[in-house]
Amino acid sequence: MSERELLVRGTRVRILTAGSGDPLVYLHGAGDLGEWTPALSALAEHHAVVRPDHPGFSSSDDCPDIDSVHDLAFFYLDLLDELGLDRVTLLGSSLGGWLAADIATIEPSRVSKLILVSAAGLRAAEPVPDMFVLSAAELAELIHHAPDARAAAVAEAQQRADDPAAFGRYLRNRAATAHLAWNPYLHDPKLPRRLHRVTAPVLIMWGRQDRLLPASLARQWSELLPGARLEIIDDAGHLPLTEQTGAAVAAVQAFCEDGER
Amino acid sequence: MQFFGFHLMPYPYLPDEHRRSRDSTWVTLSNRHFDPARGHQLYQRYLAELVRYDQAGFDGICVNEHHQTGYGLMPSPNVVAGLLVPQTRGKIAILGNAVSLRDHPLRVAEEVAMLDVISGGRIISGFVRGIGAEYHTFGLDPTQSRERFHEAHDLIVRAWTEPGPFEWYGRHYKLRYVNPWPRPLQQPHPPIWSPSQGSAETVDWAARNRYTYLQTFSDLGTIGRAFSEFREAAQRHGYTSSPSQLGWSVPVYVAGTDTEARREARVHLDYLFNTLLRMPRDIFFPPGYLTLRSAPRVMGAKRGLGAGPVDPDDLLERGFALAGSPGTVREQIDRYASELGFGIFSGVFQFGSLGHEEFERSVQLFASDVMPALRGAATTLPG
Repeated sequence: MSERELLVRGTRVRILTAGSGDPLVYLHGAGDLGEWTPALSALAEHHAVVRPDHPGFSSSDDCPDIDSVHDLAFFYLDLLDELGLDRVTLLGSSLGGWLAADIATIEPSRVSKLILVSAAGLRAAEPVPDMFVLSAAELAELIHHAPDARAAAVAEAQQRADDPAAFGRYLRNRAATAHLAWNPYLHDPKLPRRLHRVTAPVLIMWGRQDRLLPASLARQWSELLPGARLEIIDDAGHLPLTEQTGAAVAAVQAFCEDGER
Repeated sequence: MQFFGFHLMPYPYLPDEHRRSRDSTWVTLSNRHFDPARGHQLYQRYLAELVRYDQAGFDGICVNEHHQTGYGLMPSPNVVAGLLVPQTRGKIAILGNAVSLRDHPLRVAEEVAMLDVISGGRIISGFVRGIGAEYHTFGLDPTQSRERFHEAHDLIVRAWTEPGPFEWYGRHYKLRYVNPWPRPLQQPHPPIWSPSQGSAETVDWAARNRYTYLQTFSDLGTIGRAFSEFREAAQRHGYTSSPSQLGWSVPVYVAGTDTEARREARVHLDYLFNTLLRMPRDIFFPPGYLTLRSAPRVMGAKRGLGAGPVDPDDLLERGFALAGSPGTVREQIDRYASELGFGIFSGVFQFGSLGHEEFERSVQLFASDVMPALRGAATTLPG
């Protein structure tokens, strides 16, 4: 894995890259603190993986012009231009899934495949927890399913305040998320009417035990994106790529190879 | 020394099960716990208590704005100020209008100007951002709070001082016609106060604008630091600040003896700090409400507001509240005024669940046995 900086119309963005093959841009979620993960390594066995920190998150600069996920989607089109990537697979998790779907509605031809993992962006029919009233530890408890993973994540969240760098990153990322998704909460009411523009094959992936964004949202996405493939991952909460890396990456890979036939 | 009487209008009837719980008293505490019939009685009492300050010889009275909480029943300080105008003769300090929470800051410019004209120029206009919880209440992006505050303030002051109509084209507010009727009576505009718990940004802003800075809910160490920073900021901005630009707002209880005062104050300080002010830290300080510079310190602190129960005796020791005989309270205010350099004292004489009779006696003792001796250090209000 290598790390580089890219200047996108005046905003410095940190990008992690690895692997070779068709380009796959990974759009991270709100709770991501900028790490390279085992899932990314697994994806890099088949793809040239590009993983930016969104502007305002982790080691990327702030971009004061960005006030919404829609603004961020336009920023990413500039980022793809800067990287010289005409057409990519977009894989977005949570907040990143919402972003990926939005990009695919603006310039559908730039997206060869669209993979939405526990994607924010739509409003659930049932009440959902408010991530912005929860502490780091409460949130860690909520998004993980397996007891071991849950306990480890809670412990890490509780210790984060003792690590100034990590704590500062957490607080900045959380503020950046609030700026994008405070109200309307984690969704764009206009997105459903734009999704018909998506032309790429779509994979919708959800953890069956997601308690932050319930799996019923996967059905909503399926209805709005007819023909999308739906993968519900067992024994996984909000982060199936983390909790069930093998199964989740295998499902992504099967979807990508399917499209190539 | 100038004396103000502050009232927070708390709801004293929260059920025992809520008091014993760890649940938030802000944002999510169900309003089924508010009894409108008891509320009616309570408002009559609290309004009379505010008028009582004026009758007892205080220079002014203070009201404020909070939302969706048992902590205070004044979502609109301007409504309360409007009720008090015809019943009082002194200053009315609105501390403050939470301008960032308003859809339209011009409404604040209009309402405060109305109050100023009707009262014959007795209004002091405080500006605040609203506390973090209120960004949950109104669904407003907390990361924009400071920006909105500054733009709203700039717009209001310009609307008060520059003849309209003029155009305002800001990031948050875009108005083709700014031209409020009426304009304020006090010229160039009502005195502006900045109530705060001591954030470095607010202290500097208040000093730069030559406003009066009012410290609320703080220990003596924090107050001393904030006031020093204010004086230093004033020097940096090219002038020497006056004690009349520094105010201390604090719950006060005066009784016959120190023992009696502290014993009674403890109960109501417990209700104020451990029930009325109780909320999870992530509700108190939503993401982006604090600057990235101050957020790690506040959010990582093992103690402080939002971090669990506090001991009323500890609050009294650290200067979060004053309780004692008239002599003790007089001596404390005198000493702190010379040590900390403030010229405005704003007492919250009703706090927590403190009853009307205790309030009456405390205010009476303060007005007769504390205030007169401290008047010697009288300062004049700026502008």
